[in-house]
Amino acid sequence: MNLEYSGTETIPAGKDTVWAFITNPANIASCMPDVLESTVVDPRTFDAVVQVGVGPVRGKFKFHVVLDPQPSGDRMNMKISGGGFGSVVDLNAGADIKSDAPNSTTLDWTGQASMRGPVATVGGRVIDAQAKRVISTTFANVKAKLSPAAATT
Amino acid sequence: MSTTTESTNGKHAMGVSMKRKEDPRFIRGGGKYLDDFTLPGMVWLSLVHSPYPHAKIVKIDKTPALAVPGVLAVLTGEDLAAHNLAWIPTFHGYDKQMVLAVGKVLYQYQEVAGVIATSREAAQDGAEMVDVEYEPLDPVVSPFDSREDKIILRDDRENKTNHIYHWEVGKQDETNAALAASEVSIKERIVFQRCHPAPLEPCGILADMSPATGRLTLYLTSQAPHAHRTVVSLVTGIPEDKIRVISPDLGGGFGNKVPVYPGYVVAAAASVVIGVPVKWVETRTENLTCTGFARDYHMDVEIGATKEGRVTALKVSTVADHGAFDAAADPTKYPAGLFGIVTGSYDFPTAFTQLDAYFTNKAPGGVAYRCSFRVTEASFAIERGMELLARKLNMDPSEFRLKNFVKKEQFPYPSPLGFVYDSGDYHMTLRKALDIVGYDDLRKEQAEKRKRGELMGIGISTFTEAVGAGPSKHFDIMGIKMFDSAEIRVHPTGSAILRAGTKSQGQGHETTWAQIAAEELGLDPQNIMVEEGDTDTAPYGLGTYASRSTPVAGGAIALAARKIREKARKIAAHLLEAPLDDVEWENYKFQVRGQPENALTMQQIAFAAYTNPAPDSEPGLEATFYYDPPNLTFPYGAYIAVVDVDRETGAVSVRRFLAIDDCGTVINPMVVEGQIHGGLTEGFAIAFMQEIKYDEQGNNLNTNFTDYLVPTSLESPKWETSSTCTPSPHHPIGAKGVGESPNVGSPAAFVNAVMDALAPLGVTHIDMPLTREKIWQACRQSTTA
Repeated sequence: MNLEYSGTETIPAGKDTVWAFITNPANIASCMPDVLESTVVDPRTFDAVVQVGVGPVRGKFKFHVVLDPQPSGDRMNMKISGGGFGSVVDLNAGADIKSDAPNSTTLDWTGQASMRGPVATVGGRVIDAQAKRVISTTFANVKAKLSPAAATT
Repeated sequence: MSTTTESTNGKHAMGVSMKRKEDPRFIRGGGKYLDDFTLPGMVWLSLVHSPYPHAKIVKIDKTPALAVPGVLAVLTGEDLAAHNLAWIPTFHGYDKQMVLAVGKVLYQYQEVAGVIATSREAAQDGAEMVDVEYEPLDPVVSPFDSREDKIILRDDRENKTNHIYHWEVGKQDETNAALAASEVSIKERIVFQRCHPAPLEPCGILADMSPATGRLTLYLTSQAPHAHRTVVSLVTGIPEDKIRVISPDLGGGFGNKVPVYPGYVVAAAASVVIGVPVKWVETRTENLTCTGFARDYHMDVEIGATKEGRVTALKVSTVADHGAFDAAADPTKYPAGLFGIVTGSYDFPTAFTQLDAYFTNKAPGGVAYRCSFRVTEASFAIERGMELLARKLNMDPSEFRLKNFVKKEQFPYPSPLGFVYDSGDYHMTLRKALDIVGYDDLRKEQAEKRKRGELMGIGISTFTEAVGAGPSKHFDIMGIKMFDSAEIRVHPTGSAILRAGTKSQGQGHETTWAQIAAEELGLDPQNIMVEEGDTDTAPYGLGTYASRSTPVAGGAIALAARKIREKARKIAAHLLEAPLDDVEWENYKFQVRGQPENALTMQQIAFAAYTNPAPDSEPGLEATFYYDPPNLTFPYGAYIAVVDVDRETGAVSVRRFLAIDDCGTVINPMVVEGQIHGGLTEGFAIAFMQEIKYDEQGNNLNTNFTDYLVPTSLESPKWETSSTCTPSPHHPIGAKGVGESPNVGSPAAFVNAVMDALAPLGVTHIDMPLTREKIWQACRQSTTA
């Protein structure tokens, strides 16, 4: 099963701040929902154990996440691969990063997910709802961590 | 509903709706199924499955699994290879299949490793922890892509092609010429989708290698215990006398419990190696994704006719999707099974059919799901084709069928594709069906409804099956001839035990086998115990599938009983002090010709067989018979479905369904009726809701009963049944078999009815399953157009 998502998010922080944040694997891991444990392997890679509950597919999935910041400094690619309980999930995502204002950065992002095994049989609508929840929670966490209020605390 | 009786008291045991002897056990929870068996020291097997449909296996790391508490061992294909068990032969012996994947996986959910543990839960936890690294490869999901040979799936085979075999029968040039010369013709791609037998009890094994006795006992969900014993012996080298297969009560089989599956082999091998009992029981998902699927035939059907509606020729060209291995369950000399029955009930002057089978990255199979080896696919093709042609001719489909039926005086009828049909009166049976449903009135009602824009359809299916494989000159599985057997032992007090090489999965053999023997011997069927499924005690037989039990084993039972009766006649002559030629069997007793007052019952004879045997006669009263049938049998039927279709929602309401079956002599009408109800429900499910579907990446999308629907009584229509009887002239009791007729005949009746309902919209064909969405889309497109 292949799924594609895209969207635009505005982060209330400057581009350099955002770039520094999202190129750090520990920061990304801390923003993903349902992460039970994470291990930074190197400056561009981390492993995560995630609690998954999609229809009847429930349990701990292991993911390997590789960050691929582009040298231009305005695009970030990310590859997530992993799975559990006989299911495999591969996700390729990318975001173009633009500065709107001194304290406002826009991320135009796209993601293509490929699923195999029991998770692929759950049904598009169930997966869709879960995927949207993961995406919105992740961006909400990023925004929260980079908001001026957070920066001052 | 038939009337029922508890006992026949030894008279007229045949044709009586005796209540099933096995049912009190099942109703009271006394059935004993595979998962009910527990042995001391037993351990569990759980299998690891591939999430990829096509991938190289880079590495298998057992370490995390071995760290799980309770896990004793992890087995891989390479471990099995060390014991020459990495591959096993497929059903008919033309191919081999991996037990646990070696090198690469060829379908999603393929078995990759096995985890042995002290509990079911520990084995499952261990299986989750086996770390398999894959390198995904592009999958080939469609057989039409497969035949391009752009990706060769089986690099283990000498021939580097995905093409498995080509099969054909009939006169190709003559058929092509006749089709070209036909005044009217149709050509349609008709797909019988991949579906699954889905027995409520999945497959399993409890393998018990006893170090003390050196014997391997396999408690196995098996429709063919003797065949499985022989296969295990051939694969492992263990002498057959050291193997005992016990097939306990089965919760359905429908062909799914005929093949040998990887879980069986791994559990047996593990038990042999570690010397303790090993149990493996499938999950529902494993059953639906790994074990034998059915159908998956893509059939191009061409029929020609005169403009007056007389058929002139039939040609069917099929592409078959066999999945990753050629594991189709067909007799060895019949790679496409009995698909040659595709001329059906019709007198075609000429015909030709050909089939090409291909590998794909899907689960292997092609089992005879309540079907005599591809008869269901063939029946669906011809019954849909005849319906399409009737519409093109603007003829009533019943009139078109009546015009083209084989006539009763043509029997025994040699079909253009090589069968010799035994008996039938197709005209009588269809006319009876038309009368019962009130066909003319239904057509009037339909015409009125069409004026109001309502969608009502009437669908007919008049199928003929070829069952009872089979005669040894044609039918074998890996060389073993497809005879069957019965052994009857009459005890001194006149009760008996009957053992057969078949294995009931719900068919009611404990009742019907007893009725056959009781009829032949004048005994009470309540006092004849039937035993099947234990290779240590039952005579050798090829098992129960493909509607072969009554045509083959039923004949063996009757003829074994007649051997006993012949011996009993000698004892009777001795007791009556009469010449043997003067002793006759009359009213279920032996009497001196014309002297009924001096008659002896079989019970009296049986007592004498042990207490006062005839001089120069062997004591006792028992016999064994191995029956090699001279021909197949050809049950048939006329089914009529009446449906209403809601064009706004695509919902179909099956208002009526009449099934008239002619299975020759009926042993127990109630059991036959039950068989037909069950098979019609399966046919209903196939027609409207069931398909094992794969997405373009090779993901199986129907892995449990939320995605692969099984109708309950709430969804199922009310079935009407009736019968005609044209006994088989060559069968000892005239029986033809019935278990599969409803599954074979009903899908076409449902589809023909829905297509008839949609005719005003110009819709001619929709492939099964006829889901609401498909029907709604067809209605919508028609409205849009």
